[in-house]
Amino acid sequence: MAVQMQMLENGALMKISVTGRFDFHAHREFRDAYQRQSAGLKYLVDLRATEYMDSSALGMPLLLREYAGGDHAKILITNARPEIRNILSVANFEKMFVIE
Amino acid sequence: MAYKALVVDDDQTNRLILQHLLERDGFAVTTANDGAQAVDAFMRARFDVVLMDLLMPVMDGYEATRRIKAHATDRFTPVIFLTAVQDEQSLARCVDAGGDDFLSKPYNHVILSSKIRAMLRIGELHGTIRQQNEQLNDHQQLLAEEQRIAQRIFDGVVRAGNGQLAGVRCLLSPMSVFNGDLLLTARRSTGELHVLVGDFTGHGLSAAVGAVPVSDIFYSMTSNGFSVGDIAEAINRKLKQILPANIFFAASLLAIDALEKKLVVWNGGMPEVLVVDKKNTILQRARSLHLPLGVLAEAVFDRGVEIFSINFGERIYACSDGVIDAPIATGGRFTREGYEECFGPHVSPELQFDWIVDSLHEIHGEGPEDDLTLLEVTVSEQLASVGVSDAPARQRQPSSNWQVNFDLSGPTLRQVDPVPLLMRVFSEVQGLERHKEILYTVLAELVSNAVEHGILQLDSAIKSSPAGFASYYGERDARLAQLENGYLRVMLNHDALTSGGRLTVRVDDSGPGFDHLAATAGLDTNQSASGRGIRLLRTLCEKVEYAGNGNSVEVSYLWKA
Repeated sequence: MAVQMQMLENGALMKISVTGRFDFHAHREFRDAYQRQSAGLKYLVDLRATEYMDSSALGMPLLLREYAGGDHAKILITNARPEIRNILSVANFEKMFVIE
Repeated sequence: MAYKALVVDDDQTNRLILQHLLERDGFAVTTANDGAQAVDAFMRARFDVVLMDLLMPVMDGYEATRRIKAHATDRFTPVIFLTAVQDEQSLARCVDAGGDDFLSKPYNHVILSSKIRAMLRIGELHGTIRQQNEQLNDHQQLLAEEQRIAQRIFDGVVRAGNGQLAGVRCLLSPMSVFNGDLLLTARRSTGELHVLVGDFTGHGLSAAVGAVPVSDIFYSMTSNGFSVGDIAEAINRKLKQILPANIFFAASLLAIDALEKKLVVWNGGMPEVLVVDKKNTILQRARSLHLPLGVLAEAVFDRGVEIFSINFGERIYACSDGVIDAPIATGGRFTREGYEECFGPHVSPELQFDWIVDSLHEIHGEGPEDDLTLLEVTVSEQLASVGVSDAPARQRQPSSNWQVNFDLSGPTLRQVDPVPLLMRVFSEVQGLERHKEILYTVLAELVSNAVEHGILQLDSAIKSSPAGFASYYGERDARLAQLENGYLRVMLNHDALTSGGRLTVRVDDSGPGFDHLAATAGLDTNQSASGRGIRLLRTLCEKVEYAGNGNSVEVSYLWKA
């Protein structure tokens, strides 16, 4: 598991990519990634290289959402493979995030 | 503080040279003439490094090293052999005896000095690791102790109401002392069973912290007659307030009413709740329609439930995602497909539960890594049986005479379920709380008849088909939401008797009434839902009387303390 952060669009968009297993152990890395910049950005959580995600990892996007301004947060979750997409749907995360 | 060295050699010149060398490097040096003296010195003080000659009178270097190493088990004491012996076998024996290095005489001072420094570095590393291990051990013991304490609290609150119930089977396999999974059941003697199957994000303490308020709310609100929607809303409010943003609680709340043949489900973030028939064919699915509890603010929380019609002989299955996600020994996961393949005509209905559990064990090999929770409820007549609660009566006091009236207008009914409100009155009366379950059934029956058939004018015949069942409750909610006029009037009157008392409940509604004489006359043959309602009231109450056009009903309930 590795979490990578990349700034795009002249620093207006933060892309966070998670490689491998996305579970509770990614907690610190994930938090460190988004806390490296001040809040109020747009965020892109890229799950292209994420092989597995369990329910304990679902808390992380929620923390990011809180950091990014709660209901005003602009967070897009992309490239989730079908099993992970299913985990996000069962938790009804479409109601809190844009998922494509 | 200076490092301490022990020099062991039977030759005085050798001892003096080494002592001089080491003192120049800043060591505090102790000397010994043979192995026995060295062991003695080692028993009295600790040394950071030992320089050992091989061949000595009384006790040789091999034996002395063995004893020193046997004594110094808790810390690393490097022993370096300094010897004139050159043959490989003897040098190998040095290491076998516990020596860490050797150097042949005559030795080069610079090399000796470097070897000692290297050994000291290893010694320090050992020291650090040992310290960290000790700290880790301390922490683990502290954690284990705290978990034991918390487990006691947890058991007291969470498990208190979780008795064995006929027709209910469950599997809970905890990953640690605490599991993130929670399974709560509370059966009211009205026959309605409330079930909560939930899964906290994460495991251990963070999960257990939330479990205490959840079970508290679940048990108390169930016994006070609140619906699963109300309970979900209250739990969400509480968890949102106490938990950090990344901890939440996926949960399914079920109300299983075998009498009304009704299943109500609120599912937020849990796998589908399944209803299967006698051939294990999946008939109905209650999928997750909501976010887990503790995520949304109160204002935007959705308490909407799904309502299904169920029949005797059918079974309800709920599980946590630990079941779906259980790793397979050969790689991959159990998956929803794997879980659902367990159901089917190849299994006899009474073995279905064991079949799933066996399948889980089979695919697994060793112990499960996640929390597994599986629940089966068989819908049966026993599940619907009504009785007086076995809760011990509080101190007995003579009952009193009192009367309370409630007037609820249409707009109020839109917002408030009157039954829990009325139940509050009874919880204040000494002795009556043991009869709370029956009184709840009576009140719920009277109020729902008055509201649904009286004020909202719904026809219970719609409910006779499974499809009509859902549309009945859909229509009920729609009409209730539009309700502007009408009223419901409830009068509670209590007369004290020598032991216990008589409670009279009169309910009037603004509806047009119904032909109560015909309905009452046809009781024995009438199998319709509304007929059952009146029959149920008659079995519970001393007297049931309709008056007026049927929009006024009075029942009396005789109770003994």
